[in-house]
Parts: sequence; C-alpha cells; structure tokens
Amino acid sequence: MADAHAHAASHAEGGHASVATYLRVAVVLAIITAIEITALYVPGLPNAVLVTVLIVFSVFKFGLVVAFFMHLRYDSKVLAALFVGPLMIACAIILALMALFSAFLLLPRA
Amino acid sequence: MSSAHVAAHAVHDPNTGTTGLDNRKMGMWAFLGSECMFFGTLIGTYLSYKGKSISGPTPHEILNIPLTSVSAFVLLMSSLLMVLALAAVQRNDMTWGKIWLFLTALLGAGFVGFQIYEFTHFVHLGLTLQTNLFGTTFFVLTGFHGAHVTGGVIWLLSLWVLALRGKLGPQDSLKVEICGLYWHFVDIVWIAIFTLVYLIP
Repeated sequence: MADAHAHAASHAEGGHASVATYLRVAVVLAIITAIEITALYVPGLPNAVLVTVLIVFSVFKFGLVVAFFMHLRYDSKVLAALFVGPLMIACAIILALMALFSAFLLLPRA
Repeated sequence: MSSAHVAAHAVHDPNTGTTGLDNRKMGMWAFLGSECMFFGTLIGTYLSYKGKSISGPTPHEILNIPLTSVSAFVLLMSSLLMVLALAAVQRNDMTWGKIWLFLTALLGAGFVGFQIYEFTHFVHLGLTLQTNLFGTTFFVLTGFHGAHVTGGVIWLLSLWVLALRGKLGPQDSLKVEICGLYWHFVDIVWIAIFTLVYLIP
C-alpha cells in the first residue's frame, strides 16, 4: 500500500522521458564522445582550444544525463537544489585547490 | 500537487515527507550531493598535483586512451540500458525489465574488468600508489570510482535476482529508479574523470 502511494507520488512529482527520448539522448552522448576522442588527434589544434572544447562537451554530456536519464528535468526543484547546490560547492573546491596549487589547465604554471 | 493532497500523503504514506516528495528518493539525491563533494575533492587533488611528479611514469607515458575510450563508452551505454530497465519495470514488462537490468550490470562489470586490467598493467609498468604524485592521486581517484561501480553492479544484480524471483514489479519501480540515480551518478562522475584525467593533455 505504502509502495503504491509512493509510486503514485513519484509520478505526481513529474513524469519521465519517453523511450524514444532516451534513445535520442544516448545517440547524442555517443556522437559527442566520438567528437571528443577525435579532437585529440587533430593535428595543430591549440591546447587552449582543445581543453575548452573537451570541458564544454563533458559539461554538456553531464547535463544531458542528469536532465534526462536522472529525470531532474521533470522532477521537483527541491531535488535539483539538493544536487546542484553541493555540485557547485564541489566545483568551487576544485577551483580553489587548483588556485592554491597554481595548477591551471589553460594557462602556463607559475 | 495541492497542499491538501500533500498533507494527505504525509498522513497515509510513511515514505512521503512534508515536501510531498518520497523520502527515499530525496535521501538518494542528498547522498549524491555529498558524493559530488567527495569526488570533487579527489578530482581537485588530482588536478592540483598534475605535472608535479618528480619521477615517472607520467600520464603521457602510461595512459591508454583508446582502451579507456571503449570502457567510457561501455559505461555511458549502460546508463541507457538502466533507463530502459526502469521504463520496462514501470510498464510492467518484467521480461525486458530483467534483461535490461542484467545487461546494465554486465556492462558495469565489463567496465570494472577494464579497470582491473588497466591497474594491473600500470603496476607491471612500474606505477603504483607509492611511485609518485600521479600514481597516488590517479589510483585513489579512479579506484574509489571503480569501488562505486562495483557497488552499483551488486545493487543491480540484487534487483535482478528479486525480479527473477517475482518480487519486483511496477509497484517497486521506485527501487529501480533510486538504483538508477546511483548508477547514472557513477556514469557522470566518469564523464568528468575521463575528460579531466585522460583526455586533457
């Protein structure tokens, strides 16, 4: 009984994407991964451009999985806040550590 | 959902809190938030020490990008199978639900197999946890991720066994969804690790 209520509640919070959407997202993820790996072997591509492209693509892939596969696009904003808040703190931790250790991906090391 | 409806749920369903959200799902999202900070710290430490090892082997000498690209693709596609499993369980198609659950676990196990091969190969090439800063930060970061994937595989297989014994149906789809949230999380962590550790020169 409790599970049936929980099931109904989870649907009331927000629907899920269709199977067709899941397949489209998977195709986009596969194509982006292929582009990322191909970019490594492009001769003469400046390091700054390569790093920027790789980071932008991986952020996009991250967002696609969270939004569609983890259903955050369709779910409550409370759940989004529970995840995105700590995620922002994690990004700040990474940037702070890199700044403290003068470790930059795009700029020459101090 | 109206406030009266939410209140009614809170009274009748012990799994629903005052927010109207399922406590188990909310707990999983809070856990994943804490995991973001856990992996954020490990990734930050890896990047901070990148290029600061005073002896080899270095990432450039040792990382096998084609092999890891295959394992990253395997984990990415396991996320697709996970959502297909959830969709099948929700529509009470338990035959495909069982197939997708098992295949998701199988791809996860394949990823762990790739990682065991990679770690063994690196140790043979002279890179261990104690060799240099790269070895320490690399093995701790990717090892913790691999442990998470292993935990996910065990979780998926336990759901699969429940399904085989007829104890998992559409009324339990939230159990599959929560396991899926964890599984997709280990996938997105690998998206970050794959780019930051393997792809960025």
